[in-house]
Amino acid sequence: MPDSLLVMLRRLNRLVAVLVGVMLLGCAAVVLSDILLRQAGSSFGGTDEISGYVMAIATSWGMGFALLELAHVRIDLLRSRVNSLGRAVFDLFSMVVLSATVTLIAFWCWPVLERSLSMSSRANTPLETPLWMVQLPWFAGWIWFALMAWLTFLAALVLVLRGRFEASEAAIGVFGEEEMLK
Amino acid sequence: MIISISVGLLALLSLSIPVGIVLFLLGFGVDLFLSPFPLIRGLGNMVWSTSDNATLIAIPFFVLLGEVLVRSGVAARTYAALDRWISWLPGGLIHANVATATMFSATSGSSVATAATVATVAMPQAEKLGYDPRLFSGAIAAGGTLGIMIPPSINLIVYGFLTQTSIPQLFLAGLVPGIGLAVGFIVITAIICMIRPELGGERRVFPLAEMMSALVHLIPIILLFTVIIGTIYKGWATPTEAAAVGVAGAFVIAAIFGGVSLAMVTESILGTIKITSMIMLVVLGASFLNFTLASAGLGNELRAFLDGLGLSPLMTIFVIVGIYIVLGFFIETLSLMVVTIPIIVPLVVQMGYDPIWFGILMIVLIEMALITPPVGLNLYVVQGARKGGKMSEVMLGAIPYVIAMLLMAMALIAFPQIALYLPGAAQN
Repeated sequence: MPDSLLVMLRRLNRLVAVLVGVMLLGCAAVVLSDILLRQAGSSFGGTDEISGYVMAIATSWGMGFALLELAHVRIDLLRSRVNSLGRAVFDLFSMVVLSATVTLIAFWCWPVLERSLSMSSRANTPLETPLWMVQLPWFAGWIWFALMAWLTFLAALVLVLRGRFEASEAAIGVFGEEEMLK
Repeated sequence: MIISISVGLLALLSLSIPVGIVLFLLGFGVDLFLSPFPLIRGLGNMVWSTSDNATLIAIPFFVLLGEVLVRSGVAARTYAALDRWISWLPGGLIHANVATATMFSATSGSSVATAATVATVAMPQAEKLGYDPRLFSGAIAAGGTLGIMIPPSINLIVYGFLTQTSIPQLFLAGLVPGIGLAVGFIVITAIICMIRPELGGERRVFPLAEMMSALVHLIPIILLFTVIIGTIYKGWATPTEAAAVGVAGAFVIAAIFGGVSLAMVTESILGTIKITSMIMLVVLGASFLNFTLASAGLGNELRAFLDGLGLSPLMTIFVIVGIYIVLGFFIETLSLMVVTIPIIVPLVVQMGYDPIWFGILMIVLIEMALITPPVGLNLYVVQGARKGGKMSEVMLGAIPYVIAMLLMAMALIAFPQIALYLPGAAQN
């Protein structure tokens, strides 16, 4: 059960990450065409604004993928000196702290969106983007990250309780440096 | 306050909580215990306004650019070509490591990406040709650090972003010190290998025809560098926009020289999202911590502390350099930058130093932090690319290059023009 959950989460987030990447490529294309347009004396006049929104949404939605790929940097000076049970305790503690913190962040992101919704705020820019349109997916990304964190934590907790330390370490351990080279 | 925050930082880090999360936690702590009014209400706005940022989108773009070059095989061919040209020096292939790292620094904005790129293509050669692993791997770890000095540089973008300094000016300022460091690495390698030839490898001399035919493999990288930097200084594009140009350029090069496939694009994208999210969690955490520290008045406390020491500006700079060297042993480099910039840079500027010059000095110290144990990311990246062997070998091998960096830091303090000449000349 925890294994299939982890496999599913990883697949889902891979998909999310590819979509985020495609959005970034699209953004690069917009920026490029704007540079070319400017050479011809014209411009979209809003690429910076679009890039900003893309970055905010890419940031919140990419976090869960990075979490499942063990990409968030952790210092394992102490952790690497204890046995597998000890490492599992370090990992679980770290995951519960992360999950709680991310939940808190998501909680405090809501007022930002709420205000934009209730006041129908628009960006003070040429595009006059209604802010909720970009803040809604941004906020959803933080909720997603929090959800991913708790689910991963629960799956790893079950693995540890069953004494399967290796499987738990593969799910929430410290990234192997060789991973970065792939 | 400074002491309690430093202790908290080290304690939480040693519990192996992710660095970005640690920074958030410290921010919560400052808010709870040291701030007169609740700052957490501003958390959502902080997270939104920090990530809704057109400057920072250069980070995923530059990472993607590097990923595309590695996965299309352009990196491996560049290495082979530089081997033809530079391995006649005492030390042999080690010089190709430094030279390849230098070239990739000129297209990549990240040190880890540069070190990973070179390590992947170089390590198999070291084993095949029987090199002493220490100096060989140390040179890759050190060469990789040039990624954040030679433009484009993600760290300089972050510095410019946090200090409101011109990023094109910073890029120009990094060029001479970056190349200077590369030359320094090569000279120091050659000297060591003349004294102790067994540390290097066979000097390799290739026929002229082979050297000439290898040149074609250097063209893609040189072209890409010219396009990225050219569009910035022609005023056609901001550094961020130039990153988008670089991405397009990397795809074109990959298509011509390597071949673009769906699988390769997917893998490049996934690698990019992974590294970008890792960086952004740290940047967000640091921004929140900075916001709380500023509200709690840490800057004033630190200023009072340094004033109380009664040091001359020059001595203060030396104290700051010392602080960075010590912190660099223990703290991951991007966090080190983002945590200290808002506190240190205003002080330095107030004393009459140029923020662009200080940015470059800081980058040299950050480069050093990348290859000094116990927390030196590049050491781990290079070790990860080796098949076995002790971590301590890489650490030992990096020491000569740490010395070169120290010399560069001293040179920058003695002759600020090393960094400031180009930006000044460009302005006139």
